Order: sequence, then structure tokens, then C-alpha cells
Amino acid sequence: MGRRIGEFLYRHHGLEGVLYALPFVSLWAVFLAWPVGYGIYISLFKWNPMLGSKFVGLANYAELFHSLRFWNAVANTFKFAGMTIPLIIGVGFVFALMVWGWGRTHRGAGIIQSVLFFPYLLTVSIVAIVWKWLFDRDFGLVQQGINAIFPSAPMLLNSTVWALPVIAIATAWWLSGYRMVVLQAGLEEIPRDLFEAAAIDGAKGHHQFFHIILPLIKPSLLFALVLTIISAFRTFGQVLMMTEGGPGRSTEVLALYMYWVGFDYFDVGKAAAAGVVLLFMILALTLAGVKLLGLRSELQ
Amino acid sequence: MKGAWRVIKRALPYLVMYGIAFLWVIPVLWMADTAFKPRSEIFTIPPTWILSHFTLFNIKRLFTQWPFLRWLLNSLIVATSVTLGSLIVSTPAAFSFSRLRWRGRDALFMILLVFMLLPWQINVIPLFFTMNKFRFLNTYQGVALPMIAMPIGVFLLRQFFINIPKELEDAARIDGCSSFGVLTRVIIPISKPVFAAFGVYMFNFAWNEFFWSMICLQKKTMATMPVGLSMLQGAHEIDYGLILAGAFMASLPSLVIFFFLRRQIIRGFTLAGSGSKG
Amino acid sequence: MNKVWKLSILVIGLLAVVGLQVFAASPIKITFNTLFHEADAQAMQKIIDNFNATHTDVQVELTQGGWTQYYAQMKLAVMAGNAPQLGICHANKLVEMADYLTPLDNSPVGNILQMAGFNPDDYVSANWKAGELNGHHYLIPLDTHGWGLWYNKDIFKAAGLDPNNPPQNLADFINACDKIKVAGYYAFHPAEDAAPRKLRRAWYVFYWQMGGQLFDKNYTHATFNNPKGLLALQFLVDIFHDFGWNKPGSNGYDQFAAGKLGMLVAGNWYYGTAVSSGVNWGYAPMPNFFGIPYTWGNSHQLAIPLQPKGTPKAVYLAAAEVIKYISEHSHIWTMYGGHITAYKSEATNPELLASDYWTKSGKWLNEMAQKGLVHFPINNPHGSELEQAIQAQIQLAVNGQITPQEALNKAEADCNKILQGK
Repeated sequence: MGRRIGEFLYRHHGLEGVLYALPFVSLWAVFLAWPVGYGIYISLFKWNPMLGSKFVGLANYAELFHSLRFWNAVANTFKFAGMTIPLIIGVGFVFALMVWGWGRTHRGAGIIQSVLFFPYLLTVSIVAIVWKWLFDRDFGLVQQGINAIFPSAPMLLNSTVWALPVIAIATAWWLSGYRMVVLQAGLEEIPRDLFEAAAIDGAKGHHQFFHIILPLIKPSLLFALVLTIISAFRTFGQVLMMTEGGPGRSTEVLALYMYWVGFDYFDVGKAAAAGVVLLFMILALTLAGVKLLGLRSELQ
Repeated sequence: MKGAWRVIKRALPYLVMYGIAFLWVIPVLWMADTAFKPRSEIFTIPPTWILSHFTLFNIKRLFTQWPFLRWLLNSLIVATSVTLGSLIVSTPAAFSFSRLRWRGRDALFMILLVFMLLPWQINVIPLFFTMNKFRFLNTYQGVALPMIAMPIGVFLLRQFFINIPKELEDAARIDGCSSFGVLTRVIIPISKPVFAAFGVYMFNFAWNEFFWSMICLQKKTMATMPVGLSMLQGAHEIDYGLILAGAFMASLPSLVIFFFLRRQIIRGFTLAGSGSKG
Repeated sequence: MNKVWKLSILVIGLLAVVGLQVFAASPIKITFNTLFHEADAQAMQKIIDNFNATHTDVQVELTQGGWTQYYAQMKLAVMAGNAPQLGICHANKLVEMADYLTPLDNSPVGNILQMAGFNPDDYVSANWKAGELNGHHYLIPLDTHGWGLWYNKDIFKAAGLDPNNPPQNLADFINACDKIKVAGYYAFHPAEDAAPRKLRRAWYVFYWQMGGQLFDKNYTHATFNNPKGLLALQFLVDIFHDFGWNKPGSNGYDQFAAGKLGMLVAGNWYYGTAVSSGVNWGYAPMPNFFGIPYTWGNSHQLAIPLQPKGTPKAVYLAAAEVIKYISEHSHIWTMYGGHITAYKSEATNPELLASDYWTKSGKWLNEMAQKGLVHFPINNPHGSELEQAIQAQIQLAVNGQITPQEALNKAEADCNKILQGK
């Protein structure tokens, strides 16, 4: 009987594929795609189920496109992503190289690795509170240190220039530990004799890095990169709790903007419209990324 | 002179490693330190590091005034079910998207890709009403299902499955394996590393998820750890002692687990090449 | 015919008896969601615990602490038809929340105010009136809370000031600040910490004290971009720059608790921290800087969120009974939560009057409230958006990044766009 089903499915290959995808796709459809789709529908309304929603067409979008605050949030989102993605991956990579390269020959690598990984286990509110404190004007260790060296330095979290980078650094402290472990696992997989052979050929360190290490850990790097891009675009909690989007609106990212509009002003239609705009930007970005990173071959 | 240089050269890795680790641990030390300080010692200029009056006052408040253990249990249940749930549904889906051909497959996959990056803020309000229809508000399944439905797992697993050589599959097919056989006998056994890496990520994601949990779980006894910790943090000012005691206690179990299973986790994470080597 | 009648009466009677017994056996459950936390939450818990212990027919299930999305959650719960039977609403949120609340004088089951026997004269009249909107009554007042002046007596002594005589007018205040500064301390923080909304409130206080109005009566446009508004903002900016009384971005709560700050404007919720910080502190009403000694404040009020159709009368009445009980025991709320009760007879409760909180700080806040000097924030459906537009500019001005005039110009333009653009 089981064999017969198997044969039937093998002959109807397409049906089989759908069957395997079905459990996930149905969950996705009900709990993610439908709400997002409904959000797109709502974005055409001044939404208020209590008094009756009013269809306004694209008015919510028009309001957004004319709103400097919205574009400021878009710009901040990309600025933040531009800072935080290289930082997280870079720090994670350096740590991975360090623990991998010295771990075997030097004592204490295990403890050090645990220390570097630990922040990843904290929830975002704790990360925000701890870092806000480190940069406090009077009690913050880091702020005090900076002011000892540069007495005229501003309070960084209260500066329109520095607040976003500080949040990016806090995010790197929080998230790079996991990337370290992923990348280190990739490094461990490289056969050691490759390096010995390269050393015999007289290859320099940077040569080894670009010609052996990088190509061979590409899968791990891609894995880490995708996760990091996702968290960069969804960034919300750190900003809300460290600066509330300030000073002024210099750290207001899109997720935070949508939160204010949707949950504070309860202008749900407009927040949904902002979400749709974000959706299209991400779509464009994904398509560009697929082309740029040469993922096309992997997609086929 | 030469001897001194040798000593430096040998000490340098230690200096760098311990130096960085020290920098990294400062915020954590401060957190642990504050959790055991009485309030009068928390605010001092300059900040003191060595606590002169060790106190369990904050920890005691945590356990007597708040259902802290219940939050821990809730988080454990939610994170575990999200991890297992997403592994169970994402694995066959990723298999289908990478190894089986059907119409509309690639288009659907591109759509999934885009959904990966969307923040909660876009779908959380409609999601609230969906969950209300199912009567899933204030339940574990209500919090967990939307996280299980996230496409990230399908993407990562597919990325891995695609690199598994076709010959392995063909060999199994010749031996009379159906697709189900290929999945369970070929794909799953050599995919343990990516399951481990993704599992740890998903567990941590669910453990830390705040935004949807806050909307879905309105009862104090149902709260997960991040929601609970946010209840400790008042609107007016921050009760550093209490909230950092909470953070300290909440992260302790995972730290212990990581420290002892470190090697296994890293070995489990090894993604590159293991597929191609079989 | 007669027989049928008798029989039906008998049956109905039986049903009623059985019904009543079922009713008595399972008490009505009232869920009560608040946005309280810390000391407030504990004080409310005390009251509700007492209620549950002394009542068998009604039991209250209390959920507290979720303050971040409280109002959005309440709206969502009402729309979903599973709202709690009891909730909290700030006085200035009524305009925004009214569609989601049961009008107490005109509920689906009748006039609850009358049925439950609420008497407006029992409550401080300004607070009671805050619950009225468009001819209906939605809220029962719980308290008045607000900002006052906390000062460090030891620093006062070190600066050669009288520790029992904190400054109450502008000249004395400037003098005191300068002396404290010379003594080597931060002199003054006008707004608890560095959060933008709090800096905005400090500016409100200065502006209100000059008799300023933020918006016209019908909220058609902003009315704060004028010499008074500018002077108020200049004063706020100077505190952090020209006067050198503090530095922008600093946290006054923590500075004060560390014993480094002479005077702090902060709410009554600071009491617990002040006590446990070990600082030798005193409390005074908000000084009269510019004419009328207004302070910023608000009022917590109790409300019955809109219930699903067909909710029995008994549930509404049970909720009203709980509200009444809370009012009549609100001295506990004041003693442990610090907010001044709005129920007149409770404000003279002997236990409260003898408590440390009352004698050390509460009585002055009560005085400000009695004199009508606790000024509530703006009350508009777009309130949050307007206030965020204002505070973003205030914060930049306080940081010295734009001039006060630029800040007011920008804030005015943004507010007008919000008010007229929709």
C-alpha cells in the first residue's frame, strides 16, 4: 500500500512537491501571508472598525510620500543597516578567527568563547538598559572614559551624529556572538593540510585569507549574513528603549515609526501603508541582492 | 633583547584574547554586580565596582512579588515548541523547494524571501484579530504559531539541501527509495549541523521575541520572559536592581548550558562542505 | 387557563430560585487590567486583595504592568469583543478612548451611576468633570498625580541655604541654584531625566505658568509660538547651557539619588527611590517661576471598557461595585502609590494623615491639587502625535542643536499640519 502511494506520487511529481510544502505553506498563509495581505487592504482605509472604516484609496500613501518624517525614517533604516551589518559580521568574523586560530594552542579559549557568546542570550530590553547606562552622562563607564580623553566630547547617546552608531555598536555587542559560532564552525571545517600546502608554496597570511578561508566558508558567511540583514531591518526594541528615536528624530527607524503611527496614534491604515512601502523596498533589495551576490545559480 | 621580543610574541595572543573578552564582559559584570547591590549603592559617582554590601534583596523581590518561575516555564514551552515546530514543518518544505519540481515553486519561494524581512509592525494588528477568531489569544499556540510560520527556516535549510550532491539522491532512488525515503534516509541524516545551527537561532529568537508576545499575552501568568522583564521596568524610572536581577537569573540557565555544550554546538554548526563530503 | 398561569408562575419561581443559587455559587468574575507598575501596582493589588477577601459574589482578576501598549491593547480588546470589565484611563485620554468605553450614565443596561449610587459630591470636582464628554459621563476619578520639587537638604546646608526653606519664587530660585553650583553640585534638573516627553512637560510648566495656551479651544492651530512660549523655552535651554545648572542628556533621578543634585522636579512616584537612596531630602510644591505656580500632572480614572452585546446587567453592576470599593479605600492608593486620592473623605483618613508619605511630601501635592494648580496635558484625539511633534523640537533645542525660535517654528508648523492636514 505504502509502496503504491509512493509510486503514485513519483509519477505525479508536482503534486508530491506541493504535498511536502503544504504544512509549512498553510501555516505561513494563515499566520503570516493573510495578516500581511489584510494589512495591505487596510492601507487603503482610514481604519476604524468602531465607527466604520472609510475607503481613502491611496491617500495614506500620498501622506507618507509627502511626509519628511517618513523619509527620515527610511533613511535612518538604511543608515543603520549599513552600519550594523558590517559591524556584526566583521566583529563575529574577527572573533571566530581569533578563537579558531589561537584556540588550540592557547589556554582559556573556551571561557573566552563563552564570554563573547553570552550577550546573545540576553533579551533586547536588557541590552538597551545596560548600554544606556554605559553611556549615561554621569554614571556611564564608557561616556566617562571618552570624556576623560576628550573633555569636550558630547554625550554620545544625546547627539544626532553619534546616537545611531552607538546603538549599532550595542547591537553588535549583542548579536555578534552567534555569528562568531557560525563562522567558527565554518573555519573548523577547512582541512588544515590546505594551509600547510599554502605555507610550503610561500603564501602570505592575507593570501591564505582571500584564497583559502573566504571561498571555503562562503556558506557559513551567507547564513550569518542573511540572519543579520533580517535583524537589521527589523530593529526596534534597542532604539525604542535607548533613545525613543531621538534626539529629535535622528534615530527613528521605520519599525519604530510604524510603531508610533500604528500603536500610539492608532492610525493603522497609515502604518500599514508604511509597511507596504517597506515591503516593496525589500523586494527590490532582495532582487538586487540575488543578482549581486550571484545567488541566482543557487536559486535555480 | 631578543628574549624579551619572544616573550612578547608569546604573550600577545593572550593579551589580545583576554583584553577583548574583558571589554566584552564589562557590561555583564556590571549587570551581575548591580543585581546584588542595595539601592543606595547603585547610584554613586564615580561608580563603584566592588560591592561592599552584598544583598539578595533584589532576587528575593523577584521571586516573591513576581511569578518569575512561571515566566521561565512559559518561555521554555514557547521557545521549545517554536524550535521543534519550525524544524518539523520547514524541513519537508525546504526539501520540496530544493529537490522536487512543481509549478509555481520558484515564484512562491521568492515571495517567501521577501516576507523574511518584514517587521512585526505590519501584520501584528490583523494577526491579533486572526488569533481572536481562533480563540488563541493568551495561549502558547497563539504566540508560537506566527513564529513557526516564519520563512527563515525554509530559506536556510533549502540553501543547505541544494548543496547536497545529486548522486546521493540518485543512488537512493535506484535502491528503491521514494521521496520520503530520500528525505528521511539521505537528507535528514547529513543535515544535523544545519538543524543545530537553525535550532539554536530559532530557540533564541523565540526566547527573546517581544513585540508579538506583548500583544498576544495579556495575562500576567502567561507572560514570557521578555514580556515579564518589561513589566519589571516601570514607565517612570528604571529599577536597576530588580530588572538586572531578573536579567541575570533569566540568562543563567542558558549560559550554563552553552558553557558545557559549547563543543557540541560548534561541531553541530559546521555547515560548510559536510554536505558535499557526505 | 388559571391552571396554566399557576403552573408557569411556579416554574418561573423555581427557575429563579435555581438561577439565584447558581449565581450565588459561582461569583461574577471581573477582569481588571491596569497600566500600573512598581509601587502603584502593589498598592492596587492590596486594595483588590482586600476586596476579594471580603466579597463572595464578585471576584476580581487583576493584571498589571503592561504600560507600553496599554491603550492600543484596550482598543484591540474592545474590537475583538473580549475587553476587560474594568480598566484605567488617564483624564487626557478620554477624547481618544471614549468610543471604546461604556458611557456610565447611558450604558446598555441603564444609568449605572444612578443604579450603583455614585455621588459626584464625593469626588474632587475637577477630577469628576474630567470624566465628562459630549454630555455623557465615562470615568470615575481615582487620583491626581504630578510633579513637585525634591531637594537635597545636605546640599542646601553645604551651599549655605536654609534646608527647611526651599525657594518658591524665581529670584530665590536663581540665587539658590547659583549657590549650589558654586558648592560643586549640579544645581537643578527640571524634568526627571532626559526623555523627550519629560523635557516637553518642563516647557509646558514654564509656559503654563506665564498663562500660555498650547492650542486654541477647538484645536484648529497651535498657539504656542509667541514671546511667552519662547521665553519659557529659552529658560529651559539656559538651565542646561548659560546658567550651567545641569548638562543636557543627564538623568536627574539618578543624579539626585547619588546625592549630586540640589533640586529635582519629579513626580510623586519618586518617593520610593528617594527614601531608599539614603539622601536627606525635602519636598516642596512647584516654585512660582513666572506668575501662576502650575505644575504638570494628570489623573488616573476608572472606566468600564465597551462590553460585548448581551453582557448581563449584573456584570456592569459588579464592575461598578468594584470601582466604588476602590474609591472608598483609596487612602491605600495614596499611602503606597503616592497619587492623591480624588475621593474627598479618603483624603482625610487618619491612617493616611499620619503616614510618612503624607507628612513628608504627599500633603504638598494635595495642596497643589486642591488649589487647582495641577495642570492636565492636552486632550485631543491627535494628542500623542502633536506632543511627539513638539517634543522632538524641544529636545533638539535643549541639546543646543537648534535655537529656541527655530524649535518653536518647526513645532508649530508640524502641529498645524497634523491638525489641518487630516
